[in-house]
Amino acid sequence: MAVTPPTDAELNTMIRARLASLGIDLDQLPAGTTADPVTGSPGRDSVLASLRSFVRSSVTNLASFQMPAPAGSDPAHAAALSQQPAPMLYPSISTEWRR
Amino acid sequence: MTHLPMTSSPTALDAGEADQSVKAVNRRAFLMQTAAITAAAAAGAAAFPAAASASSWSGKAPKFGSDAYVKPRPEAIADPTELTVAEAAWMIKNGKLKPVDLVEAYLARITAYDSVYQAFNTVLGAEALAAAKAVARKKPTSPLHGIPLAIKDNYWTKGVRTTANSYLFQDFVPPYDATAVARLKSAGAIVIGKTQMGPLATTRATTPDGRITTVNAWTPNNASTDPGGSSTGTATSVASRMAASGTGTQTGGSITAPSNAQNLTGLKPTMGRVSLAGIIPLSYTRDHPGPLARDAKDAAIMLTAMAGEDSADPRTQGLPPLPDLVAAATPSFSKGRCRTRKKIRVGVLPGYASNTTRQAFLSTLDGIDNISLVDVPLPDQWDLLTGNDFNNVRLPERSEPFMPYLRSDLRGFGVSVTGWLQGALLGANEFITGQRAKLLLLERVLDQVFAKCDVVVQTSPVPFDILGLPEIGFPIGFSAAGVPIGTILGGAPYEEDTLLSVVGAYQAVTDWHWKRPADPAVPAATARALKTTDDRGRLSADDVLDQMQ
Repeated sequence: MAVTPPTDAELNTMIRARLASLGIDLDQLPAGTTADPVTGSPGRDSVLASLRSFVRSSVTNLASFQMPAPAGSDPAHAAALSQQPAPMLYPSISTEWRR
Repeated sequence: MTHLPMTSSPTALDAGEADQSVKAVNRRAFLMQTAAITAAAAAGAAAFPAAASASSWSGKAPKFGSDAYVKPRPEAIADPTELTVAEAAWMIKNGKLKPVDLVEAYLARITAYDSVYQAFNTVLGAEALAAAKAVARKKPTSPLHGIPLAIKDNYWTKGVRTTANSYLFQDFVPPYDATAVARLKSAGAIVIGKTQMGPLATTRATTPDGRITTVNAWTPNNASTDPGGSSTGTATSVASRMAASGTGTQTGGSITAPSNAQNLTGLKPTMGRVSLAGIIPLSYTRDHPGPLARDAKDAAIMLTAMAGEDSADPRTQGLPPLPDLVAAATPSFSKGRCRTRKKIRVGVLPGYASNTTRQAFLSTLDGIDNISLVDVPLPDQWDLLTGNDFNNVRLPERSEPFMPYLRSDLRGFGVSVTGWLQGALLGANEFITGQRAKLLLLERVLDQVFAKCDVVVQTSPVPFDILGLPEIGFPIGFSAAGVPIGTILGGAPYEEDTLLSVVGAYQAVTDWHWKRPADPAVPAATARALKTTDDRGRLSADDVLDQMQ
């Protein structure tokens, strides 16, 4: 069943709640869409709009990416995906100990 | 450090508002302080206090062969700032140039022109002169002996303010040198100043509130010309001959892009070649320290000094030994023909040869003995795996170490704050998917590209930044408007020597890298103000999102 995409209001609530759970209060930024004249920091409404766009694009697209099934496994079986290669923070460095 | 006078304590404000007020005053003071430093730099070296030079790193100094010393071109001898590092090293080693004279020559250019360029945010005039006198008492053992360098302001420098051009670090004075700085100093190099950069290394150099500071040395009167970011100040200082060479960091193109923009040779090494200890992070799997230099040989000298194991950074440990980079950057000649020391296949990606400058570049490469061109494909899902979404996997790496600041001082990030908030929003699942995708991409690059070639042309620095693979940016021509055009080659892991071999040979048969920008006219008002008063434009938070590394 397709998931209904979140509305702007739902995303605003999610974004604020996620940040608040980390201890980040968006209200530190100026209200509205006007940047802080001293620091250039954007207004919180501008930031929220940008963050909504980020969630709808990068977060969603990364979450939907499916790694290919490992060679020799049946891609029709989701279980095969549990045998994906381990993630690598430093792929170039890993070549030295994966020779 | 700037303090808010007690008499201005705003009793009518609540605690949060009062806190913002204190920060606002400190930020205005930071901008004024930065301007004052620039002004003092132009006024003369004696305005700067000497700083201690000890560091936490105490390894062995690198060894260099005779290839690192080059007899100067006749036209370069009259002006020491025209000498490459290798040429200046030859002069110093042979007693024909004193380090003090070299430092003074560079300081004179800083005094004359940095009011226009605004490449430095701190000039260490007195310290550099003292260091030059100190090294002059020692026998040269390195081509960097007595060579003045520009250091990007995200590298810790003991006793010297290190701001990363951010409000968050406006008062930070490191207790020790970054390992890379310590290594350069141990090789005899002299830090002549700290350079302007994009706030926290995100964009071209601006003030933390987004106002453009540093210009491209080739178009000093046109701030709209991209100088390359975020190692802008280093690039401008080296291109304008206010430093012999310098350091940068690359997370999304910030060594190769400013090198391409300002006719320099910039070398981003494989991840782990150079220690990141003592460098203010942007994205810890993607930050690569490296040199911006005048040519391939200087880049080789700089990287040889900067690279090596460091107990303070495990990413540097257990790697293949550093090859002789200087020898690699030194082509040989046989019967008048230039040749690389080994056979090298240069991979050409589809669509690369899209203009006459690149076509001419490839044609020149093809004429060098031992170099051959070979068409290579784009790896499967290249656009997806190197595109914006997968590039954004880096963002939690910048938010996580800055959590205390995100909780207490969002405005302290200035125009750059949104990227840090994006990082805090990306979930752990997506982050791990991104790490898996990096390995998938690397395997495809190794299997589908490097199975057919040894180095490969790049149309963007980002893919190899994602993978931690080495890249070199270098000049291949000029636009009709006289602005440099560069290109980028990428290499397999730890193949910096192969990259340098290609570029060293290319530069032996071309002269783009010898061209220098004209000195800027300094308006009297600017000279009096010691800093240009022109409005050079301002980046908004949205601009930063579009341009950030």
